[in-house]
Parts: sequence; C-alpha cells; structure tokens
Amino acid sequence: MPSPLTHDDPRAIGPYRPVARLGSGGMGTVYLARSAGGRTVALKTMHARIASDPAFRTRFRLEIDAARVVGERYGAGVVDADVRAETPWLATEYVLGPPLDEAVELCGPLPERTVRALGAALCGALGQLHASDVVHRDLKPSNVLVTAYGPKVIDFGIARAAGDERLTRVGVAVGTPAYMSPEQASGQEHQAAGDVFALAGLLVFAVTEHPPFGHGQAADLLYRVRYTEPDLTGVPDALVPVLARCLDKNAYRRPTTDWLAAHLHDGTGEFADHLPDTLLADIGRRATEVWQLTPRRLPAPAEEPETPPTAVSRGWSRRRLLLTGAGAAAGLTGAGAGAWAFTRDAGRARPQPTPGPRNSLLPRRRLDSLWQIQIGEQSRFESSMPSHPSPLGNLVTTVVGDVAGVVARTGHRAWTVPYLDMAWQIASDGTRLVAIVSSDHPAADRGSAGGPALLLASLDLVKGEMNKPFARLSDFNGDLFPDQLVCTADGVAYVAAGRGRYVHNTFSAEQTWYLLAVDIGTGKPLWHTPLPARRPGTERFYFLAAAVVGGHLVALQEADDGTVHAVVRDTRDGAVRWDHPLDGVRADRVRLPLTTDEQHLYVGTGRLRALRLRDGKVAWDSKTTRPGRTYGPPAVKDGTLYAVEKGLGLVALDPASGRVRWEEKGGGGRRGGRELRTRDRHRLRVQQARVQALDDRALLPHSGTGVRDHR
Amino acid sequence: MRATQGAGEGAGRAAAARRRVGPYTLITALDDPRAKVPVPERRYIARSTDGLHTVLLSLPHPGGDARRFLTEAEGSRYLLGPCAAPATALAAPGEAPWYVRPYLPALPLPAALAVHGGPLPERTVRVLGVALAETLAIVHGQGLAFAGVSPAAVLLAADGPRLTCFGAVRAAAPDGTPRSGLPGLEAGSLPPEQASGGRPRPLGDVYALGATLAYAATGHTTPERDELPAALRPVVGRCLARDPGAQPQLAEIIRALAGDPAADSATLRTPGWLPGRVIAALAHQSATVLRAEIPAETAPVPHPD
Repeated sequence: MPSPLTHDDPRAIGPYRPVARLGSGGMGTVYLARSAGGRTVALKTMHARIASDPAFRTRFRLEIDAARVVGERYGAGVVDADVRAETPWLATEYVLGPPLDEAVELCGPLPERTVRALGAALCGALGQLHASDVVHRDLKPSNVLVTAYGPKVIDFGIARAAGDERLTRVGVAVGTPAYMSPEQASGQEHQAAGDVFALAGLLVFAVTEHPPFGHGQAADLLYRVRYTEPDLTGVPDALVPVLARCLDKNAYRRPTTDWLAAHLHDGTGEFADHLPDTLLADIGRRATEVWQLTPRRLPAPAEEPETPPTAVSRGWSRRRLLLTGAGAAAGLTGAGAGAWAFTRDAGRARPQPTPGPRNSLLPRRRLDSLWQIQIGEQSRFESSMPSHPSPLGNLVTTVVGDVAGVVARTGHRAWTVPYLDMAWQIASDGTRLVAIVSSDHPAADRGSAGGPALLLASLDLVKGEMNKPFARLSDFNGDLFPDQLVCTADGVAYVAAGRGRYVHNTFSAEQTWYLLAVDIGTGKPLWHTPLPARRPGTERFYFLAAAVVGGHLVALQEADDGTVHAVVRDTRDGAVRWDHPLDGVRADRVRLPLTTDEQHLYVGTGRLRALRLRDGKVAWDSKTTRPGRTYGPPAVKDGTLYAVEKGLGLVALDPASGRVRWEEKGGGGRRGGRELRTRDRHRLRVQQARVQALDDRALLPHSGTGVRDHR
Repeated sequence: MRATQGAGEGAGRAAAARRRVGPYTLITALDDPRAKVPVPERRYIARSTDGLHTVLLSLPHPGGDARRFLTEAEGSRYLLGPCAAPATALAAPGEAPWYVRPYLPALPLPAALAVHGGPLPERTVRVLGVALAETLAIVHGQGLAFAGVSPAAVLLAADGPRLTCFGAVRAAAPDGTPRSGLPGLEAGSLPPEQASGGRPRPLGDVYALGATLAYAATGHTTPERDELPAALRPVVGRCLARDPGAQPQLAEIIRALAGDPAADSATLRTPGWLPGRVIAALAHQSATVLRAEIPAETAPVPHPD
C-alpha cells in the first residue's frame, strides 16, 4: 500500500503534487501524485545524482518511448514526462492490479483458465510490441500487472536494445535471469521469439508457482536456461505441449504469439470471468483504497541518519521502478533488502544479535538453494525407516542405498560407503558416525543370544571407510532386523537391541528387547534397560527419533498401539524420567532428527508444539498460538525455531513462546521437505531424493542489515 | 467564481463534465440515464474545484422541494452503521440544493445487475441483505425511519454496500399527500402505507428492504413468488407481507440470511461475494475517475522547463 510522504519529498514534481509514496529505490522514487485538476497518476522520478549521468537519462527516455508504444491497453498509459528536468520524471496511469508475482503469492498457483486468459492477453501485448519492432527483453512476473480487464506490461529492458556498452552492462546487472531466453543468456540477440520463451516461462510460474528453471544464483540459472530442460512439473497436462514448444532452446522452432494465443484461449467471456476470487478481491481492494488515502507527510526526524534508511540496491529498485498500482514497492525498503542480501550477497550480510522484528512487521524473505544434487534412488527400506541426511563435520551424510558423504558447502560427494543402507542402524552426532555393522568374520563374532554378536563401528571420515568394530556385544543378536542405533552423543552410543532368534524383517514373541548405552571409547556397555515386548509380526521399530540434551536421552517412541510417546531417560542409568503420549502425531511423520534445545522438545509435522524437557508439560502449541496452521518438521538454531508452514513457507519462531518472528517471502509452503542444519552454517532441505543447501547466515532473525547501495 | 447552477435536464455525461455545482465540478453521472429503475436524486461523481476532493454529489429532481431535500440531507449527516453514507457537506441556505459525501468506487444496484448480466448470485444477495439489515437496525435504534430504501438507493462497493437516498420518501411529498407515481420513487419498494401518504415508520423499511432484495435476486421488486431462489423465498416473502404483524424483525432477517448466528456482514464478505464483472466495473469506474481531470481553477505549478 502507499506510504506517507517523508519530510524531504518534493512538494511538486512538474505539474503534480505528490500524495503518497508507492515505492523507493536506488534509482528514484515512485509517488502517487495529483495534478491541479485532480488527476491521479503514478509518478516515477529519477534521483538527481543518477540523472547527472547522461546514459541514465537516455535509458529513461527509451523506456518512456517504449511505454508509449505499448499504450494503455497493454501497458501503463503514459500521461506526461519530462526527461530534461533536473529530476526527470514520468507520469503514468495508476494501475489497479497486483504484479503477477504478488498475485501468485496471494492466490497460490493460478487456475489453468486464468493462466490461459492471461497468456492469450499477453500474446496480444507482445504482438502489438513486435508489430512496432519493439522487443520487451525483460518479461517476468514482476513486470506484468494483472488488472480486471487484462494484464499490463511494464518496465522494459529496453536498455539492451541501445547497444551501448555501458547501458548493456547496467542492463545485465539487474533483473533475474530466471525468465531469460537461451539466446539472451548466451549473450546473443534476443528477438521476438525470445519474448515468447520468457512469456511461456512466466506462465509456468503462474500455474505452478515455480519458474521453469528454478531459483538460485545467476550463473546457475543462466546455465540451466541454456542447457537444461524446463521443469514443467505441476503444469496442467493440456498446457504442457503448448508451453514446452515455446520453451524450445532453438528460437526458430518457437511459435508466434498468434499461434500461442490461439492455443491458449478461445477468447470467450470477459477477462474478469477467468480470474480467481482472491485476485478479484485484491483488485477491488486496490480500486477502493486509493480513494481512502489521506495525504500525509512525516515530520523530519530529530537527527538525520547517516545513510538514508530507504536505500536499497539498484537491482531491486529498477525491478519495480515503473511500478504503478503495485503498492508492494513500499515494502521493499525493509523486507526486500534482506532478500536481496541473501540471494545476491549473502556473504556480506552481517549477523547481528538483535531480537527479531515484532510480529506486526513480519519481513518476508525469499530463499534460494546453494546447490542441489541427486543422491540416488529411493531406499529399499524407505517404508521401515526413511533415511535422512545427517551433518557430520563439514559433510552431510545421506543413506540411500549407500552412505554418501557430501561436502555441505559445495554439494561435492567426498566418498561413498557401499552396502550400508539400513538407515536406522546408523547415527551421527555431528562429529562421528556410528553404525551397527555385520561381521567380516562370522565364526569369530558368534554370539550367545540366538545369532551373531552385535557389532558397533565408527566411520573413518577421511577415507570414507568403516573402522574396525569398537564394541562386540555377544549377549545381543546383531542380526535382528529391528536392532536400532538410536542415537550417539558425548562418546556414548545408545542402541536398541534384542535377544532371541532372527525372524525375517520383524519381531517375534520369543525375543526380548533392551535399550543399552555403550561407551564408544572402551566398547563397554554402560547400562541396559528392558523395553516393552513388541507385538509379533510388526515391522514398527521402537524409536522414531532421539537426541541427548544435558543429562537426558530425549526420544520419540512408537508404542505397540501406534501412538507416539515423548520419553525422557536419564543418560546415567536409562531410568525413565517421564513418558507422555502426543496426541495428533503420526509415527510416520516424525521419523526425523529430533529438534530440541536446552529447554524444550519441538514436535512438528502437523501441529507445532514445544514440550518442556524438565517435566514433559506442553510449553506452547500452535493449536492455540496459530490455530489451524500445519507445519513440517522444525529445526532450531541460535535461539530461533524454524519450520515450513503449509501455504506460507519458512517461518521463524520464538522457541519460548511460539511467536512468529518472520516469514519466508514467496515460500508458498510447498517445499515442505525435511530440514536440518550443519555445523558450518548450512541448512539442508531434502525433498524426494534431492538435497538442497541453504546458507544459514541469511536465516538469522534480523532484517536488512549489511545491505549497501552499490553504486 | 461562476454562477452556481444545477446540472440541467437531460445532461449527458460529457456535458456534465463541465458543469459546476457549488464548489464542485461534475465529472460524470453515477446513474445510467437509460436505466428504467427510478432514482430519487440526480447523482454525480464530482470534484472540488481545487482538485483535492472527489465526491458523490446529489441534486434533487427538477421541481423537487429544495427545503425537504436539504432537510433529509442534513438528517443523513448523523447516520451510523456500516453501510451508512452520511452527507459530509451540503448547500448553504439560499444556495441551490446539493449535498456530497466522499467518493468511493460504487455501482447502483441496477447498474450492478446490468453489468453482471442479470440477477445477482444468491451469495451476493445474502451479504447485501445482512449488511442492509444491520444498517437499518442501527438507524432504527437512532430513532429514525430510513424512508428511502430502494434498488437505486443501494450502491455496491468492493468493501460492502452503501445505503444512500436517506429520507427520499419524506422528501418526495409531505406526509398526508399520496406519493404513488411521484418521480424518483420506485413503486415496488414503496411501502403501501407510505404510498398512500402515511408517515414513514421503521416497519416500512423492512418492506422496502424485502423489495430491494427481491430486485437483487430477480431483477424486479415485485417478483412472482417462485421467481425468488428457494432459500430466499420465506424471508423476502415475509418482508413484503401486507400485514405488518407478519413482517420479520431485522434480527430475524440477519439470522435467516447469514445462516450462521456468529456471522455478520463483515465476516460474510470473503472473496467471491461480489461477481467478477461487478468488481471489474468498479475497477473501471475507479480508473476512469482517477484519470479524470477537471479544468484547473488555479494556475498550474510552473513547469520546470
């Protein structure tokens, strides 16, 4: 929404009086302004210090010319402009509709009928441009405003048309390459067919919420645009062949805008008939709120800050400088800065131990992955106990078929240990990986409990090989399928192990089961304590997740009746301190690394709640703090709890109260994979058989610090 | 300042754009002159000559009683309720009559039906009914009879309806004078006792509300019973009962239309309560008025060129 003017905003710009601010950036400011006759316009100004560079004035003029070519049916109608003024300005109509990226953020993936109508209308816009020998070159969701009567295209990447070296450089430095054409990505001429490519990419985003070549750093995106196939997952079947044709790497094989329009939409009905209710309501709100605006000017601050708090980088500001009815630009000053710092300049964002912003001012951030790798096929034991990656030094280990060690920072695979694929028999404490192993010498390792001895070994991190077993426990059967390496911490391995004969993949009535603690240094058992008998035939293991906090072994256990219990034991003797059943928790959803800090155990996947380690009482529960919301598994770091909230994205919460500190921008909550953290500030997100890494520093609960105006 | 004059008869939209009323310049007429539904006032979107304030401006019909018109406008200044549209300024004594309230994009109910292409969806009618009944309940609580509920008096805005034309029945003719067939009064929504000259009372508003909701749901204020959607039939039918004892209380109307005792018009107004084409027309009107420029009264700020 528009925000009040500041004390030093001009009283008049050309014949217009500013009424409110729509947005601000390194290039200039966009105002809502009125003429003496009461005409309301979006007025884009260019800072005088930028205007002193003739190249920028030239670019400004070219953009104005292009906007005039588009006209007001397909663009923001140009009302008036003065490029020769000390502060050059451009007045356009104030467009009543959100930019497409905001529309998708608001409504989620748009319905197929909406995307078809939108696409056909954009074909009309591009057709008109191309007929006038203008190519847009920077078509992307933030440059398309969705009104009740059709989309309007704004903000041309016209600078690149000029062929001027300086302008070209400026042009390339801005904008995300997510919607670039392959020819543009490789530095070749981007013609009309390039706009068709970008349009199809934009439609993929509108209908799936994801750009066809993903998110990420510019270099990766440029590579994917040029060489990899677009990701059309989630695109409705009937649209796939149409859009795939437009996303052909070969510009000559792409269809014309007329062909695309005809294959998208038959032109029936009015544009508004095809829009979802939420989007229409937003348009109605914008149409009304602009009339309820009271012109306000903020008083001068008592002391001028050294740097203007509104300074954002040029990259962001240009993105929306011609923004008219968008309104969101006002939010760029705080929230956008943080996002920018992360996506382009994560290393420069300085962590600050300041508390998170208040709930009412939730900044929203956009997070990108550092790398993604394929880690193999699905584990054959996925249904028994799905594997999850574990941090291990600067590595992350994954158990899918083999144990693989992947360098967290780069995604490079350091080593692989073959044939170790029973994820529940492997545990890592972050510095050491311990596993239940089978014997190389069955004769020597014979046991007295119905099978071979239980052997525990640790991994040699450098070679990527298992060391010789450090513990040989002949009074437990190491062959039993449900033997579990529950957890390892502080030089102790906690193992669930049975006595009795092997039965294929299950428990039997004659087996007896124990939880035991084994000293990794000496290989000696410290204590063992019986576990309740298991129903014969069941494939459900005892332990879902466990961790050691202080002197407590904190575990989620599945009871024989399928309920999940939080159980806390004393690590000295295994005595149960407390045992509380958790209502509304499904065992299959919590077989993940346990999330705890000194005070609480956090359980997500559904409701998010915190249990006090001290006594097992519920400290808070999203059932009451955020009713109706559902969450993925949580992660806690540096005093902040993170979880993916369905429909929203990543949220950061105060661990003590469950209050939200900030929310991910544009997360959509669809990447609800499993998450964990490593020791070197990386955060991993696992989805299906892929691992994604995020830089943790960008996740600290502070906003926008460390962003500088790069000029 | 030029002589103040009203917008003359048959003023087209273009001609209206140059007409002045008090300190306002008319931009466009709010009602479609071709619409068959009577409107008690002539309504315009107008702007103050300094360009700062855009308003909805009302004038009496030619030949209408200026004093009664201004009396009702003055009375409307104190209206409360979520859909009230109180006057914020009116003509000074001796001046040609007018009154204004701040502009917001809004369509008269008949225009909304025209844009939508027929009767409004049941959901829209329910929200409309709840909001209007809530407002009338407050007006009645203020000790007033609205005496002017009719299809044209209801404006649809994106954030809910607005009820205009306060006191139109009283303004049309003094009590004791038959009001049938007077210009601006819509026959179907004029309660029988008011048509015959009776003093408007709150129960008459319930009758008029029933007729207005019938119009929203069917396109006529006097529909055949089976024209009404089945779910609306009982409550709207009772509003139109000739016997005042059979008419429902406003609270009953709200309960019946809201369907949920906890709901009110604000909670019912979730996305989708207005048809898409009505929202499109509101956005179009908003954009048109944003774009409108009235002849500048003061010298423009000098161009820096």
